[in-house]
Amino acid sequence: MLVTSFLFLSYGASPLQAYFALFHEPFGTLRGFGYSLVRTSPLALIALGTIVSWRSGFAYLGFEGCFVIGASATAWLALLAAPGARVGPIPFSLFLPLAILLGFIAGGVWAGLVGLVRARLGGNEVLISLMSNYVAIFILQYLVSGPMRAPGSLPETRPLPRTTWLPFVLPGTRAHAGILIAIAAAALVWMLLQKMPLGYELIVTGFNAAAARYAGIDVGRRILLAAFFAGGLGGLAGMVEVLGSQHRLMDGISGGVGFVGIVVALLARLNPVAVIPTALLYGGMTVGADAMQRRADIPSSITFILQSLAVLLVLAFDALRYYKINFAVFSRRTPPPAAEEVSE
Amino acid sequence: MKHTLEMKNIVKRFPGVLANNNVNFTIQAGEIHALLGENGAGKSTLMQILYGFHAMDSGEILIDGEPVHLGSPKDAIALGIGMVHQEFMLVRRFSVVENTVLGLREGGGPLLDLPRASKKLKDLSNRHGLAFDPAAEVGSLPIGVQQRVEIMKLLYRDARLLILDEPTGVLTPQEKDQLFAVLRKLREDGRSVVLVTHKLAEIMEIADRVTVMRDGQAVAMRPIGSTSEQELTRLMVGREVNLRAEKSGQKPGGPILQIENLRVRDETGHEKVRGVSLEVHSGEILGIAGVDGNGQSELAEAILHLREIRSGRVLLNGADVTGLSVAQHRTMGISYVPADRRHIGSVTEMSVADNAILGLQRKYTRGIFRGIREARESALGLVARFGIRTAGIDFAAGKLSGGNLQKLILGREIMRGAAALVVEQPTRGLDVGAVEAVWGELLRARQEGKAILLISTELEELLNLADRIAVMYEGRIMGVVDAAGASVEEIGLMMAGITAGGAPAAGSVNMEAHPGEIL
Repeated sequence: MLVTSFLFLSYGASPLQAYFALFHEPFGTLRGFGYSLVRTSPLALIALGTIVSWRSGFAYLGFEGCFVIGASATAWLALLAAPGARVGPIPFSLFLPLAILLGFIAGGVWAGLVGLVRARLGGNEVLISLMSNYVAIFILQYLVSGPMRAPGSLPETRPLPRTTWLPFVLPGTRAHAGILIAIAAAALVWMLLQKMPLGYELIVTGFNAAAARYAGIDVGRRILLAAFFAGGLGGLAGMVEVLGSQHRLMDGISGGVGFVGIVVALLARLNPVAVIPTALLYGGMTVGADAMQRRADIPSSITFILQSLAVLLVLAFDALRYYKINFAVFSRRTPPPAAEEVSE
Repeated sequence: MKHTLEMKNIVKRFPGVLANNNVNFTIQAGEIHALLGENGAGKSTLMQILYGFHAMDSGEILIDGEPVHLGSPKDAIALGIGMVHQEFMLVRRFSVVENTVLGLREGGGPLLDLPRASKKLKDLSNRHGLAFDPAAEVGSLPIGVQQRVEIMKLLYRDARLLILDEPTGVLTPQEKDQLFAVLRKLREDGRSVVLVTHKLAEIMEIADRVTVMRDGQAVAMRPIGSTSEQELTRLMVGREVNLRAEKSGQKPGGPILQIENLRVRDETGHEKVRGVSLEVHSGEILGIAGVDGNGQSELAEAILHLREIRSGRVLLNGADVTGLSVAQHRTMGISYVPADRRHIGSVTEMSVADNAILGLQRKYTRGIFRGIREARESALGLVARFGIRTAGIDFAAGKLSGGNLQKLILGREIMRGAAALVVEQPTRGLDVGAVEAVWGELLRARQEGKAILLISTELEELLNLADRIAVMYEGRIMGVVDAAGASVEEIGLMMAGITAGGAPAAGSVNMEAHPGEIL
């Protein structure tokens, strides 16, 4: 934060005023807070997907792809459910579970393909998942400029029928039920990883695949499952964005959220409980950045610098802690005992 | 006689532990000095002080009577003190010569003069009888040769005192003999060697003097000529240890685990198990002897179906389990204690409690949830029953000592109530006290009527525990002998591939055991 203060100064603005703008708008005003929640939901869902896959030892980076695939699938479903469309209006109580299921399965299958390559053929999931993002984005571009394009100049679909929108949860704001879906997902992921035998198996697989195999865990299948869950959560993020915020499918809908979500997961130290507050802070800062640009006349990109610095500091935290301990060794000559000495 | 190096009244305190308590230690030029002690006795700490890794709290270090300051390994190297760590510090993708000059600045110029370094290395290796190719990539060399590279690195820097930390733990008997030959040469050369170990037989074989450490103190220093293994054990453990396991006379029951004509390949496609047939009876320990790498590990993994079986069958209680999954093997009653307890037998990042249910995670459940309370209770029971010394069951398993971690794994595998137990190298790297405990548990399991297949490279262990010993060589069983009447010579010959008839077995000239060796 201190570092960023200097950046603010270089724009001739008071850092305090800038920080006030950065945090007052998203957390101090109802309208801004609503916007923060809108940003939070997809970020949190993607962060949860990251946690499931990374803790299972599957370094998946394809959340952009899952996001747009999930978004496309739900938009398709929602357009089917439009009044006058082939299927006709579906009651929301039926539509929502269907949309959740479809978004989850679409994203899950998309990531599952990468999982399949890794589990059966031993491919590198980092590369393949990164590449799969582009494929998904091109599929989206094809859809919105081809079969699903609405009449008009922009590559986007018709607006989704109001009956398929996620309900707004805070009166007077744009905050929608997606945040509730994200909170529920966080609880489910926490339960899976901490409380269920399957989660235990996933974590063992992530730590040590050889030990997992020894313990009778089918490592390939667990990785496939982790990929499916992770992709499903990414797909849900797309669903939430389309039904809750954009209300139409268009090119560039993801806006990099598939990568920012990974960053949020890292900031939360891969802990599902910490994901919602972290995503809220991160989403809020994005909202605040716009406010800051308006009030203090500072480019909103400064916020990205601040956010990136925060990530670097968190990632460096382990290293910093390590150096601190070593520092103690030399200054006070009381290093922690080696493991051998403690236990014997 | 002139001392080359003296450590006087060394005190080193870690929080809660007095690691070195007034330790005196002297090394003379041209001697091999063994430093003996159990894990945690303080020998590693002492050597790390000598290597400049830790700063001592009080005491002094003198070289030829002159006090010296060792603030970092750099100081130690400048004074001619070098250390070979248990884990080699080599860049696997670099060649031998690149590894050797790593961190050195020679010749002053900005460019590396590798040909010159190679030549110097060749001269040195000829002089000391360390044969290897300077251009070979280190990662492709067998462990024993990699160790020679480590020693070579020290000689290249003209170390006068070489500290070797548990150097034989990873070596085959032949590699160990080669290492000892090198050490003798170094001694002739007037250099000093400190051998940190807890293997008594090796100390008796090669050391000139031995200093025994216990609980942070140097309890005794003895010339090898005037001591015995019994005395050293007593000094090291602080009490009489009976490493003669008392086996109860008991008649084995019916066959539990039957292996029929098993053939298994390793990752590179070499056939490592070539038609092995064995039968383990209830209440019996069948030992498998053999030099490391003769197919024992592959055999054990194949029994559990952790490794693909090319042909042959595995029967448990008469039922064919050959094609079943690992999980099915486990539920049907085969337990396995793998040789690599830190990378396969346990998940070191997870707690003791979580490791205690590894492989049992589907047993401790409540509906769709984990039965966390039941699992914790069983972990507490395991800790108590097997005397596992840990700060608690939430303590990371990786922080347990080797002996305690092994007790945890062995205990877990015994307690799951399997009829057959496959145990691989159960006491490798453990100190005497832990060996005693592990042996006791194995004999107890035998008494309970389990069928135990014990794979070990330690002949002494097999002779003490096993009812029968099968000797494995190049993937084949050379013969099965009764442990009671077995002679070490007979087993030793079979381990070298020579059958009772005197003729070497087919395939004994096969070099594929070390495909990467370049000598």
